[in-house]
Amino acid sequence: MPLKISSSPHFLSKVDTQHLMTQVLVGLIPVICASVYFFGLRAGLLILNCMVTAIATEAVILYLRKKALAITDGSAAVTGLLLALILPPTTKWYAATMGSVFAIFIGKHIFGGLGANIFNPALIARAFLMAAYPKMLTTFSAPIRWLIVKPQQWDSISQATPLVLKKFSQEITPNLDLFIGNISGSLGETSAICIIIGGLYLLIRKIADWRIPLSLIVTVVIISEIGFILRPTNADVLFHLFSGGLLLGALFMATDPATTPITKKGRYIFGIACGALIMVIRYFGGLPEAVMYSILFMNALTPLINRYTLPKAFGR
Amino acid sequence: MITVAECKKPQSKLRSEKFLTPKKLYLPLSQHTGKPSSCCVKVGDFIEESQVIANQDGYISSYLHAPASGKVIAINAWNNPVLGRSEAIILEPQGVSKKYLPREGIENLTKEKLIEIIAASGIVGMGGAAFPTQVKLKSPKPIDTLIINGCECEPYLTTDHRLMVENLKEIFLGIEIICRIIKPKVVIFAVEENKSDAIKQINLLIHTKKFSLLAARTAVLPSYYPQGGEKQLIYSTTRRKVPGGKLPLDLGCLVHNVATCFAIYEAVYYSKPLIERLVSFCGEALTAPKNIWVKIGTSLKELFDQKIIEFRTEPEKIISGGPMMGTSLDSLDYPILKSTGGFLFLTKGPKELTEGSCLRCARCVDACPMELLPLEYYKRAKKGEYQDLSTFNINDCIECGCCAFSCPAKIPLVHYIKAGKRYAPKNK
Ligand code: SF4
Ligand code: SF4
Repeated sequence: MPLKISSSPHFLSKVDTQHLMTQVLVGLIPVICASVYFFGLRAGLLILNCMVTAIATEAVILYLRKKALAITDGSAAVTGLLLALILPPTTKWYAATMGSVFAIFIGKHIFGGLGANIFNPALIARAFLMAAYPKMLTTFSAPIRWLIVKPQQWDSISQATPLVLKKFSQEITPNLDLFIGNISGSLGETSAICIIIGGLYLLIRKIADWRIPLSLIVTVVIISEIGFILRPTNADVLFHLFSGGLLLGALFMATDPATTPITKKGRYIFGIACGALIMVIRYFGGLPEAVMYSILFMNALTPLINRYTLPKAFGR
Repeated sequence: MITVAECKKPQSKLRSEKFLTPKKLYLPLSQHTGKPSSCCVKVGDFIEESQVIANQDGYISSYLHAPASGKVIAINAWNNPVLGRSEAIILEPQGVSKKYLPREGIENLTKEKLIEIIAASGIVGMGGAAFPTQVKLKSPKPIDTLIINGCECEPYLTTDHRLMVENLKEIFLGIEIICRIIKPKVVIFAVEENKSDAIKQINLLIHTKKFSLLAARTAVLPSYYPQGGEKQLIYSTTRRKVPGGKLPLDLGCLVHNVATCFAIYEAVYYSKPLIERLVSFCGEALTAPKNIWVKIGTSLKELFDQKIIEFRTEPEKIISGGPMMGTSLDSLDYPILKSTGGFLFLTKGPKELTEGSCLRCARCVDACPMELLPLEYYKRAKKGEYQDLSTFNINDCIECGCCAFSCPAKIPLVHYIKAGKRYAPKNK
């Protein structure tokens, strides 16, 4: 009778890395659907491009690093998908491909691979593309509801995002459009309702911790409400909530386990600081990418937050 | 704390059975925390049931008694489910079992006399920790709260549950004895909510006021793991936190397991030392789970040889204790100890463990009931950096396994923590 010997516990939760990643992909399905619905087949191709490139890059690097081929864990697929969702629908294929390679190679493996990275790989790749192709990455097209559009048509229907409209021409996009997603913007940022559905799914299934999204969103609500009361020409709370990458960032980027604090207290601090930074940049900064830069900045501060919020151990 | 699958049905409904006629008994001299007992018999001696065969050696130690009359056939190293291997007395039972007569004049026994009886009966904590009971009862500090632990939060195990359903009056008489010794202000009977039949009976007994328990109450606790851990239990019932390095009695608390209370009852009322206990045998590899009264020292192998329990299929893993904190055994040649609550026979362990990369997801941190940082221990222990482990309070870890249970990367965190504890500098 050959018996297996191992350290306790002899009972493990069914949740493994692959399950977590798959669930994130599932949570993003509504967002994917919305992006294809609003931006056509091209959105689908962009997503496919990023995911395939990310997975392939991961495979090559794991092979070169002589590590077990763990692409089935789904982490590369998630990174690729998240990157696609924060790109403008008109992003050229080569830029998207480069971004995905960058996300996996520089964003993840330079730091040591899964779980060892400091910055959210999708966001850091987005920042890289911003530097490499500033124009391409800030040109957005209006939503179109048909599946196939000729490339020439694409460029003719470019439109500023609601945040840019607000900032530079004081034009306010109707909240209902923001909510449903009938606006220009990155692939996955537009439809608030779809992001909320997917995000709630993750929170309810306990795939993502609720502390960061909640504290981030509450902070944004409070600051934007105060801003609105002080100066009614400022956008209102709902506008701030539903525009730009706020919800996608709060629910899917700021909840990335590897790059956010390990302590509960730290997660509140992370969320609050992120929310405050976003509002500061939106009110006073010239950058349209408040969410991205705030999260990246807080990623960099995460080790510090961890250090100062370490629990003392029960009763000590 | 975490929620784990209970796996307690159907054995929680099974009436206990008896198996008191083993052919051999293997009695390790170390069945308790502290110094092993010192053997006081020789090979070839004929021993009466309940005769002392090994003496308490030092303050934190315990007596060992013969669970059956018979001949000492060997004294040598033998398997021990907790220690791996240790010195043991091997006994071949002969003759009939002893009758225990009720003790006279129990009401007049003094506190000191009661403690003496308990010490002389070799009683140790039966919830798993195996700390000599008399030491806990000789508290140098006043105890205001006595907590009776009927939680049994480990999955599968149901002996405490069955004991509470079948022998509750005796448990209460045992509690009465403890109360006479330590005079607490309140007695809290803590049970997890998944044992509703036991809870009903406990409430009933408390309300009949048949027992002279001052201010006794039931605390029905949510079924979390490790709710029955001493520090967790004290916190859940009194909101007092026992800091690392301190003892419950520093906060005026004392915790005793229900099985220990039952043993105290038998010792005081019938002069019967701790030589038998109720043990759960469960897991998918058995034809049927069972709760059986067995003599201490009975080997697992014998239970199978005599077809008391039977395999349905070959087990892949045999565990002494519960699945969360128990130890995996390499054969059936292991005896039942005073602190053994059960054995598990698992057909397939969890999915083949391939240790993945840590995601820094902090699920281990969130799960840890001791508010520790399992992933930091793992990171350091893996790299062999043991120096700063003690500053992270690694020694506060109760090895409950919540962290490893929750880890999506399937990292054997407890294994690393045990290594870390072994090598971490002890200066803190
Ligand atoms: S670190 Fe220790 S106390 Fe904390 S969950 Fe892990 S085993 Fe339990
Ligand atoms: S639960 Fe596992 S993967 Fe997550 S942080 Fe802890 S050790 Fe790492």
